[in-house]
Amino acid sequence: MPSSKQWLGAGLVALASSAQAAPSTEELQKQIDALQRSVEALQQQLQETRRAETTVTPPKGGDILASQTSSQPASIATKEDVDGLRSDLENYKYEQQRNRETKTALSSRALTIGGSVQARATYQDVPTRAGSTAVADDRYSSFDVPQATLNFSGSLYRDYAEGRNLDYRLAFAYAKNTPANNNSQFNVTDAYLRYSPFPTVTGLEEPKLTLTLGQQQIPFGLEAQVGEELRPVINSAQFLNGLGVGTRQIGLIVRGDYDPYVDYGFNYRAPLLEYAVGVVNGNGPNKSDDNSDKDWIARAALTLPVDYNSLFRELKLGASYYKGSKNLTRTAGGVTSVVDQGKSDRFGFDIYYNHDPFGFTYELAQGSDETLNGPDVKSRGQYLTLFYTFGEQWVKSFRGQAKYDDWWPKSYQLFTRWDQWDPNRDVAKDKTTISTGGLNVFFAETTKFQLNVSHTDYEEDNRESENQYLAQFQFGF
Amino acid sequence: MLRIKLFAALLGVTASLFTLPGSALAEEKPAVIRFAIPGAGTGGRPITGGSYLSTAHLTGALEQEFKHDAIKVQWTLYPGAGPAVNESFASGLVDFSGHGDLPIIVGRSTGLKHKVILSYSRFGNLYFVVPVDSPAKTLADLKGKRISVFKGTAGQLQLNRLFEKFGFTEKDFKVVSMNTDTTKSALATKDIDGAIITPFDLQARGVARVLLEIKDDPKLTAPASIWVSEEFEKKYPQITQRVVTALLKVAHWNSDEKNRKEAFKLWSQSGTAYDDYLKSWESYTLKERSTPLLDDYYVASIQKSIEEARRYKLIRRDVSTDGWFEPKYLNQALKDLKLENYWDRYDVAGNKLPNKLAQQ
Repeated sequence: MPSSKQWLGAGLVALASSAQAAPSTEELQKQIDALQRSVEALQQQLQETRRAETTVTPPKGGDILASQTSSQPASIATKEDVDGLRSDLENYKYEQQRNRETKTALSSRALTIGGSVQARATYQDVPTRAGSTAVADDRYSSFDVPQATLNFSGSLYRDYAEGRNLDYRLAFAYAKNTPANNNSQFNVTDAYLRYSPFPTVTGLEEPKLTLTLGQQQIPFGLEAQVGEELRPVINSAQFLNGLGVGTRQIGLIVRGDYDPYVDYGFNYRAPLLEYAVGVVNGNGPNKSDDNSDKDWIARAALTLPVDYNSLFRELKLGASYYKGSKNLTRTAGGVTSVVDQGKSDRFGFDIYYNHDPFGFTYELAQGSDETLNGPDVKSRGQYLTLFYTFGEQWVKSFRGQAKYDDWWPKSYQLFTRWDQWDPNRDVAKDKTTISTGGLNVFFAETTKFQLNVSHTDYEEDNRESENQYLAQFQFGF
Repeated sequence: MLRIKLFAALLGVTASLFTLPGSALAEEKPAVIRFAIPGAGTGGRPITGGSYLSTAHLTGALEQEFKHDAIKVQWTLYPGAGPAVNESFASGLVDFSGHGDLPIIVGRSTGLKHKVILSYSRFGNLYFVVPVDSPAKTLADLKGKRISVFKGTAGQLQLNRLFEKFGFTEKDFKVVSMNTDTTKSALATKDIDGAIITPFDLQARGVARVLLEIKDDPKLTAPASIWVSEEFEKKYPQITQRVVTALLKVAHWNSDEKNRKEAFKLWSQSGTAYDDYLKSWESYTLKERSTPLLDDYYVASIQKSIEEARRYKLIRRDVSTDGWFEPKYLNQALKDLKLENYWDRYDVAGNKLPNKLAQQ
């Protein structure tokens, strides 16, 4: 089939030759036919071009190797294209600005809002009335919201060059009234400023140092400080409350590390020494000091300097010491008064090993509290937790993989814990031992389902042992 | 007589079946082949470009190969690049992956067990880029300044080679770790003073300029590797062969000049501009940069990288290459696809050798 150019040429030649002499009717008819064929060929070519521009077959898997080897010439943007793009851009800018002003929460400084909520169902085989209204009957089961927190954090000064930032954090936690009523309290838990004198963005090999002033968690042991990776149980270890090392304190605490073992090939950092020293009021959160003595705290932890791929990765030993004092009081004639200050010291030792998919934590904590009349009260708590994870929840690189959707690696963590608390080692039969087994199901980035079954054994003669069953959703935002 | 011959033939076939090694009979099939890519597209999107491995992912070449075997191909793209692949592999989550020279060497130095089966992505130009208004005229002018590199990746080794070429070490600069996206932003905001990066989109935006451009220096660049875990290779040698053969087909397509624009279009889905590929590949043939061969240059280059990594103190112990490279799958695929002479071979210095039959 002749191409359109040939037909067009033929038509033009016919026209040109016709100019030489007066054409006959037959010749004119031939010229018209030639022109008509040229026009038809051009129309056909135009049609094919349009079809090529409008029909795009998306590639199907490996088909592209065979079917898309003849690439189309690159299109050139026209003035209309550029004007359209400019118009779209202007619309986008307007919409962004309008949304920012009318539909976006603004703050005077960079702000991150977060929080967590727990929704729990409990059943125990020994009746209780705890946590309810003053007039209540025994119960065996309950639905509860044991925790709801809200926190705000950000930088007051951000050092883009080296990351010597001045950060802040303000956190609140819901708490029931005692006895409970329909209202709740909303207490400040964290309220502090934190400054990083050392660079924080220059590399993993740099040591870290922070100074934190305000109300904060104290660096004692593992249980109160570590993330959920190492704390799979719903209820905290007993000694946290028993020794008071789980409560917030107000003061100044310096935290840092030294000689980090860095394995850039795995993006792994394990400081040989982590340390913390600080001074706090010692009488808990949300109040001024209750005496002139300050409490002192020190903690050191050593992590084995080995490669990420080593069997001994994340094997850490730590020791904590809290040198405290408390008011010793006497009540006479209905009036309680401070007589003196007595020591209230805490010592702890901890070890953890975390080599995905398995790991363990062990912690021992002792307290020594002076009394006004009588010997010091020596208390001791300890626990051992073993855990095993099916899934990739704790493999940082895997859970950080590139994905379009809200993907998260589903993981199942089995654990068991043995937890013992002896409030006074000089008193016989006062220990409480809790054995817990459970399962954590991680199914979204900040949400998990927890199932705990625990048996609490009281040594006291007049107290019955009990079994407790907890099912809980914990979600963060 | 015919019946006797038929019986004898059947008997022979049956006997030969029993004498075949177990692997040749019916190799156990994996339910899934877990392929890792050390990188992600702009903004962390699960698409990369720049190599035939990316093309294999984008075109579903492996999925096509295994679709009749009920074997799923799972691609995992890691924004944390090579170090992130190492972490996942150490947790038993990867069967095959691509890797730049430094992370694969670090992995082997710490005991990760893999076999190198293919080479991919070699050569290329090096651009050292600074903020557009930087007063620096030479690398020496940046002494003590902040230079970014994605530590633990092949880029760190390349940066050290560049420093060494001009008589410097990392200690002469403040070298900070950033990924590609962050580096581009930091150049625009002048939070860093320089980096090795493809400059074209930054230049187009008027935020950066090229301080140093080094074209085609095989001593500064190093080929990347595709590996299979020793466990997978030992358990599924036939599947490994099919993976290699399928990848070789893609490498062949990716080496054909008539597919240049199509390949760049595919890759530009990653967020890197089409124009970036056009410009950064314009002085190379596709064959040069997409060769899968484990030739003399590949072997010498990895050995050189090991020595450099040790010299720059990026690894803590020596790495032996004994038994690391496994070219039998590549050779078989080259033979099956009749591509033995398709790609050029390069000598230890990166110079093209006269074409000859495969001798690997």
